[in-house]
Amino acid sequence: MKFPLSMSDISLWLAVMAIILLITSELLSATTEYSGKIMIEKRRLRLAALALGIGFMITVIMRVFQQF
Amino acid sequence: MFPSLYGKSILIEHIETLKVIVCLFCVEKYMSREKKEKKAEISATSYLLERIRELQLQVENLKSELENIERVPSVKIGIAFLIPGVAALIFSVVKESQILAFIGLGLTFWGALFLFVRPVRYVKSKLLHSASLSSYLTIDRIIKDLKFKGKSYYIPPYPEDVYLPEHLKGLKEMVVFISANKHPDMPSIEEIAKSRFLLKNPNGICIPPPGLGLLIQFERTLGRDLSKVDLETVLEVLPQLVTEGIPLAKQLEIEKEDGIIHLRILNSIYKKMYNLEGPKSVHILGCPIVSAIACAIAKSTGKVVTIKEDKISPDEQLIEVWYSLVAGD
Repeated sequence: MKFPLSMSDISLWLAVMAIILLITSELLSATTEYSGKIMIEKRRLRLAALALGIGFMITVIMRVFQQF
Repeated sequence: MFPSLYGKSILIEHIETLKVIVCLFCVEKYMSREKKEKKAEISATSYLLERIRELQLQVENLKSELENIERVPSVKIGIAFLIPGVAALIFSVVKESQILAFIGLGLTFWGALFLFVRPVRYVKSKLLHSASLSSYLTIDRIIKDLKFKGKSYYIPPYPEDVYLPEHLKGLKEMVVFISANKHPDMPSIEEIAKSRFLLKNPNGICIPPPGLGLLIQFERTLGRDLSKVDLETVLEVLPQLVTEGIPLAKQLEIEKEDGIIHLRILNSIYKKMYNLEGPKSVHILGCPIVSAIACAIAKSTGKVVTIKEDKISPDEQLIEVWYSLVAGD
């Protein structure tokens, strides 16, 4: 029994999720009339997107250092 | 039969005594009426004070109710994603399946995200307007009852972190002074420190500003005490706060020209307050947005701020207010 995903799989997953969330948060924070009607906590969404982006960067750095 | 001379003088004396008694009776009656009027005046003032206290309690209750509503999480979708997600992850470890792991990771992530980024509950703007109306009507009554014809003066508080002795603690409260006449002296520090409602010298009343709650909300959103922020920054940040942070108006512009600060609010949620049937005190104190901005300017500059003039467009869309800074702290 072991976790079936490798570091590169997780890195790819994090990158895709971070891109989706960053684009969503950017579109929502634009002050259009339509986005103003979406009542979610936009600051938290941006925070989650940034956290995923940072997570992806950490996995990249880890993979870089694994080579040495 | 004619009365004797002696009897006549006694009669005159009696008449004089009667006159004095009647006079005394009249004076006593007048005095008792005056006393009654005074008593009625005192009871009216105490009734108004009691009413203010009741309204403040109601506002506090409404605030806590609103907070409770905001706290109710929309967890159903989050849990619906989270449970199968965690199950899929566990099974993926047991079966060593990559597909199950991806599905589990995705579901768990979106479930957690739905819990984290939950929708914020909003109330209708009409409700906000009607909730604040009663406070203005009460202030209207007080001003009418006390026959005040003055202006409002927003007195800046001392910063929270400044040490003050116990008897001066009242100076840390933001207050607005409504003067009895148009050109009053400012109340002394001792008078403000006592946190009194009715002030004798100068004649007027001191009340918490109607925009105090909004000001606290502005400071929470900014994460800073406005008494430590310079005026230029405050004027730069406020439009964004009012239109985006806490959407209370469609557009807000603030300009500073020679000690006069000109505010323009487009499509404010409190615009109905300014119509002819609305409370008169809104022109003295300003609506909650105008009042909160006056408080912010007073806090930032450390100077007394007064509303010089206000104007509303005929279609009630645009509210214009001119603030002036009163010299001295």
